Amino acid sequence: MSNKNTNFSTSRRRLLKGLGMVGLLPAIPTIAANTSGHAGHVIVVGGGFGGATAAKYIKRGNPKIDVTLIEPNSTFYTCPFSNLVLAGERSLDSIGHSYEELKSVFGVNVIHAFAEDIDGVAHKVTLSNGSVLSYDRLLLSPGIDMRWNAIEGYDEAASEKAPHAWKAGNQTLLLRKQLEDMEDGGTFVMSVPADPFRCPPGPYERASLVAHYLKQHKPRSKVLILDSKDNFSKQGLFTSAWKDIYGDMIEWVGVSGDGRVVRVDADKREVETEFGTLHSASALNIIPPQKAGFIADRAGVTNESGWVPVNPNTFESQQVADIYVVGDATLAAPMPKSGFAANTQGKVAAAAIVASLAGITAPDPYWANTCYSLVNPDYGISVAGVYKVEDNQIITVPGSGGLSAADASLEIRQAEAAYAVGWYEAITQDTWGTQY
Amino acid sequence: MISGYLPCTRSTLIKLLSSATLLLAINAQASDLPERQVSLMSSSCANCHGTDGKLAGAIPAIAGRPASVLEAQLLAFKQDLQPNTTVMNRIAKGYTDEELKSLANYFANVKRK
Repeated sequence: MSNKNTNFSTSRRRLLKGLGMVGLLPAIPTIAANTSGHAGHVIVVGGGFGGATAAKYIKRGNPKIDVTLIEPNSTFYTCPFSNLVLAGERSLDSIGHSYEELKSVFGVNVIHAFAEDIDGVAHKVTLSNGSVLSYDRLLLSPGIDMRWNAIEGYDEAASEKAPHAWKAGNQTLLLRKQLEDMEDGGTFVMSVPADPFRCPPGPYERASLVAHYLKQHKPRSKVLILDSKDNFSKQGLFTSAWKDIYGDMIEWVGVSGDGRVVRVDADKREVETEFGTLHSASALNIIPPQKAGFIADRAGVTNESGWVPVNPNTFESQQVADIYVVGDATLAAPMPKSGFAANTQGKVAAAAIVASLAGITAPDPYWANTCYSLVNPDYGISVAGVYKVEDNQIITVPGSGGLSAADASLEIRQAEAAYAVGWYEAITQDTWGTQY
Repeated sequence: MISGYLPCTRSTLIKLLSSATLLLAINAQASDLPERQVSLMSSSCANCHGTDGKLAGAIPAIAGRPASVLEAQLLAFKQDLQPNTTVMNRIAKGYTDEELKSLANYFANVKRK
């Protein structure tokens, strides 16, 4: 499966590593220079939490490295806090972030185009605008693609009528409109996939915030979660809070209770589960099974699972040399597919790329994660973890992390809700730097 | 009680720092291994405290605060000595005391503005 090449840059890296051991070279910038005469050219594909962070931290690590960020959209709408937009508690604008600071403060060259193809051997990226760019190192932060038709009847066209809203932006607004148009006494039906998928606690936060909206505006309505698994993230915290705050408004059906949706009729807003039960929805949200974003396939870095295996120390692809992959597209368990994790993976990969271009060893990796979920705007719960590499595997540092206390006071829940907002402001500042 | 500076570990750190300056790199910041190490470790903190720990909001800024204060605070989180903690107790347990000291020193040396 491996097509690790032994091209010029790889052998040059080996040479530099050897020289680095001796430690006698005075003028490394010229030694480490690539063909363009600079400290190297890094192309980053994807301007979300992983890619934008990596672009910024590569420039912080060594401003002499040329960094080009390829991202089709001029504004990135975050999935974190998009459930607040859905519930009418925030505007879509408030979760939009531009690339101005990456350009003006950090000197990242941002190109708004799609990356359409990658030649890992020739080190070239082909863009939708027709240009072909060469790289010394490539970092992919491709996010997720939906597995269309994995559920019968659910393709891209159907997602206009039964939105996934699992990429924020127009999809969020489509689902918001269905919620607004819903009658009092209607049912909001959500289909949730089996693991692994983007943002494990996200569907349950969404159910919570939809219920928060319905409780105020359409109190006779219901939220029905049809799940393809029997256990979910923060399950005990969510179910206990749902009962306290929303009574029986939210109903969750696991896979053993016939929760797995196998067919969608988006026109009728109807779903069928594994054992033939039909459910009609006033508003229908299908979160389908997922895989790594398309460009990861084009680069040859995905495996049979549809996700990307990486070297845990650097997040370099296990399959193609000089391509690093971060974020939801990767196989990085026990780290979750979260924006926080993508950001810290972007920093680890950035440090590894800076070191690689300088011909020195990458620093040991460290990652952390905190995922806040809002049960309502004043009630927050979280799961956290600190991660390191042991025996070439990513592990949770023993004793670290875990869930908010089950018996925490309402004051603690309020504090966590406030910290969720503080977290959002900080991570978006750290990643894009434009909003706060 | 919360321990303060330990001179022996501090001198170890200084030794590591000075030997590391012999390593190859592009600029001073990237040149010594322990600083690159601590810099990477500290970058996770930015996700809640802003880049370089400078963002003050619902979550406090940590940049430029005295190292001894930061270290004592981190150890108190780790040892569950800080009442009403939400998440920092769970995070601090992921680091050795030595790593927490390094993080405290790192953020103490960041200028707020």
